[in-house]
Amino acid sequence: MAHSQTRQRDTDFFEIVEKSGDARSGVLRVNGTELETPNLLPVVNFYGGGTSESLYGGGIHRTIKEFINGNEAVNGADFSQYFDGVMTSVSSLTDYGINRERYEDYIAEPIKEREVLDFNGTLFVDSGGFKFLGDRKLDGSDFEVEANQKSIFEIQSKLGGDIMVNLDRPISPDDGYQERVEKARLTAENVDTFLNLTDGSSQIRYLTLHGYNYSMLDTFLTEIEAVIGRDRVHCEFDGVALGGLVPIKDSKEKLITAVSDCRDVLNDWGFKDLPLHVLGISSSSIPLLAAVGADTFDSSSYLQSAINGKYSTSLLSAVRVDDADFSECDCPVCSDPILVSRMQGDVKYQKDKLGAVAVHNLIIQKREVEKVRDAIQSPSSDALINYIEQSLGRDKSMQQHAHRVVNESLGGYF
Amino acid sequence: MPTTKTPKVNEVNEFLEIASDFEDPLELIRESLSNSHDANSTEVEITVRDRPLGSEIIIEDDGDGMDHGDLESFFDLGNSTKRGLDDESIGYKGHGTKIFYKSEEVVVNTTKNGSNLRARMKKPWEKLNSRTMPEYEVTETPVRNGNSGTRIKITGFKSGHGFSPASLTYNKIEHYLKWKTLAGSTAHFFTDDFREMDITIRLGEEIDNSQKKLITNKKIEFPPEQLEPGDGPFPEERMCKHYPPRELLVETENGEQTVVEVVGMVGGKEARNELPTYGKHSVQFGVWLAKDHIKVERLNEAISHDNEFLHFFFVANCQDIELSANREKVRNKSSPVYQAITEELTHYLSKITADPWFQKYLDQRREARLARRAQSQRSSVKERQQQIQERDQFSPSNSIEVMLGLERSNCNGRQHITVEDYDPNAEVNALVRQNDSLYASSIHQRLTDHFEADKPLESIDKIICWSYGDLDELSELERNGYHGGGISINFDRNLLTYQNGCHHTIDIVSVQDRFSSIN
Repeated sequence: MAHSQTRQRDTDFFEIVEKSGDARSGVLRVNGTELETPNLLPVVNFYGGGTSESLYGGGIHRTIKEFINGNEAVNGADFSQYFDGVMTSVSSLTDYGINRERYEDYIAEPIKEREVLDFNGTLFVDSGGFKFLGDRKLDGSDFEVEANQKSIFEIQSKLGGDIMVNLDRPISPDDGYQERVEKARLTAENVDTFLNLTDGSSQIRYLTLHGYNYSMLDTFLTEIEAVIGRDRVHCEFDGVALGGLVPIKDSKEKLITAVSDCRDVLNDWGFKDLPLHVLGISSSSIPLLAAVGADTFDSSSYLQSAINGKYSTSLLSAVRVDDADFSECDCPVCSDPILVSRMQGDVKYQKDKLGAVAVHNLIIQKREVEKVRDAIQSPSSDALINYIEQSLGRDKSMQQHAHRVVNESLGGYF
Repeated sequence: MPTTKTPKVNEVNEFLEIASDFEDPLELIRESLSNSHDANSTEVEITVRDRPLGSEIIIEDDGDGMDHGDLESFFDLGNSTKRGLDDESIGYKGHGTKIFYKSEEVVVNTTKNGSNLRARMKKPWEKLNSRTMPEYEVTETPVRNGNSGTRIKITGFKSGHGFSPASLTYNKIEHYLKWKTLAGSTAHFFTDDFREMDITIRLGEEIDNSQKKLITNKKIEFPPEQLEPGDGPFPEERMCKHYPPRELLVETENGEQTVVEVVGMVGGKEARNELPTYGKHSVQFGVWLAKDHIKVERLNEAISHDNEFLHFFFVANCQDIELSANREKVRNKSSPVYQAITEELTHYLSKITADPWFQKYLDQRREARLARRAQSQRSSVKERQQQIQERDQFSPSNSIEVMLGLERSNCNGRQHITVEDYDPNAEVNALVRQNDSLYASSIHQRLTDHFEADKPLESIDKIICWSYGDLDELSELERNGYHGGGISINFDRNLLTYQNGCHHTIDIVSVQDRFSSIN
């Protein structure tokens, strides 16, 4: 379906600095923070369990916060560049069974204003729609909060998010047409409330979209437009967050189609200059999806891999942390003898071992994202083609996907 | 006290062995072209005649000619002096010219630096086979400086079985030249100072009188590109895309490096036919490994299995592949460098198969095939419509149509018989309802079909058929029995009785009869 171009919201939030084929490199500016794109926002749980003495966190989440702060507990180095943008979710409050008192304490003060945290990056707060899908409740140990758009937005605001998304109803690959349309309609009602609750002056607002191909995304957007009206769709959002992709994360082919078609839909609806965030996807998908026009990503894969004992050696490969040769990596974690000894198991608590591994895993991904950015900013598209070919194209399982994005988005090899 | 011994070589056997590898007179042409190239010739003419005592082959070029040393190399085994002096030279093993020994006589007449040498070797093949080393006489005559060149005359060449020169044609030779010799070189794609060489082939009239000669050069050229589909039922057949020369740097695990020079095209059948093809495309196209830019052996596995290799014509040249004595095979396939070459080529070709143009070409093929099928179905529908218009009455051609006929016959006072269940693969293929009862039935176009299908009778209540079929066949069944039992058919009452230990009666429903009474 073709849609005439309509004026977009006049904002200097996102500036596209350079393009290479369909890939873009730019800057997100919000509340005094700057985030270069493409970029990966690690998912961080700022509030999971514990007490104020333990940085409001328990387990590995606490160790991650120590790295963000550069605490002495992790030998005091500065890791802030790897946390220039962070994703957290309202649903992270449900990761631990907290009581109401603790819950109220957690949301009493915005994250960036908390004394126990030294985080100054861009804070993206997801609505957590993917977790509230079933019971639509935020469960604590002795309380429940109804997970509707109003309550979720209230929490997002209290957490002090720079960028927020509406509460969505994610689709699943098994959904039929009617189910998807119904979810789009329910999401649209949330979007309506979301826009009514905000004026856009103090928050950056992202619209969540769901769909695995052009037609699904177009239908989803059409439903949103039908509920909130054409003007609001076109004038009140600063960015788009493509969700519902986690169930298809293992199919690069489907991911590329979803993101590439999303860009086409956005272009046809007159949203071509809005930043596109891909929810919940990272690792080897980043270069492929950045090549077709995704601007930011978020994922907890760095953390999940570490929890599973995996130490990344590249975007594509990992070894068991107990088999890792830390001397082959020059990242700040692997260059610090104390952190290396912890990764080797010389620790009292597993969180201190695996937390270090998680930050190493994050650095591996962040470094690759930086290479992608540099390649996009090169004068010719050859740099990005070469990067994709060298990083992914030599791997048998990735080759066809690498060729596809080179051909479809970067002008091809011939 | 240990003694030191040096292994010996049986020279005659070595000559015999090497020369035996060559069987085809075309190989002699290949070796001659390489020699002429190495001698910096700009023109070479090869004449082949079929003679009663074997073929006569004359090779004449305007190259540098040979002095005494060169002539010795020509006749010696493993004594080539070419490689190293000139990087572009092809021969270096000193094996190729030994193909000349498979003859009655070799006469070499060559001029270099003001001196003409005439060498003559008599009955080399006969002598080798009688374990005698053949000798050659050399006569030297001074000539004026400035002229150079070589003329070699091979008399009575002993072709292997199935390789008689009489079977040659200009078409076959041109294909061989372009596929297997220097004449099909891809070197010109990779250098700015390419040396041209005109090649003329003459076949005796007794071999092929379709033309006087064949003139070609030493480079293969691809048919003109056509990126868009054409018209007609096979729009993709002339589509063709060239893939420009690329130098692929290959590094082995142990750090060795080499370069693969690859160039090629993808094209439909018509485009490929513009090359000098001969016989099936499946044995000519694909990915060729080459040395000295002369194609040696195909590596079609470098193209992923889901693509048909015959659409491709790629030549990948690498000087680090090693060849068998007759240049037909790559010898160092287990080496790291060969493995690295195949990996790099596989990767490169994966880009070709992912090229959107190639995908468009495949789509065109598929769409054209579907269009042809649709056209054929349209024709078929038309024929069927015509048949229906021409016939007098409904006439089923299979058991399903018999069922339709049965349904249509349920009128005009006929007892209703309806098919409630039909399984074409079951022994009892239908359950039919009549007067509120279900009957196990067998539906056929003809009653005789039931017996031809060797189906049982014991479990059948009704046989529903369009007609009885060949009444004589039914009579034979009555005469000879069926499945060890006796059959009798009452045509008036439409009943079949089967006696095999017990008595079983089956209703025969002739749909045609029910139909006739309607009309």
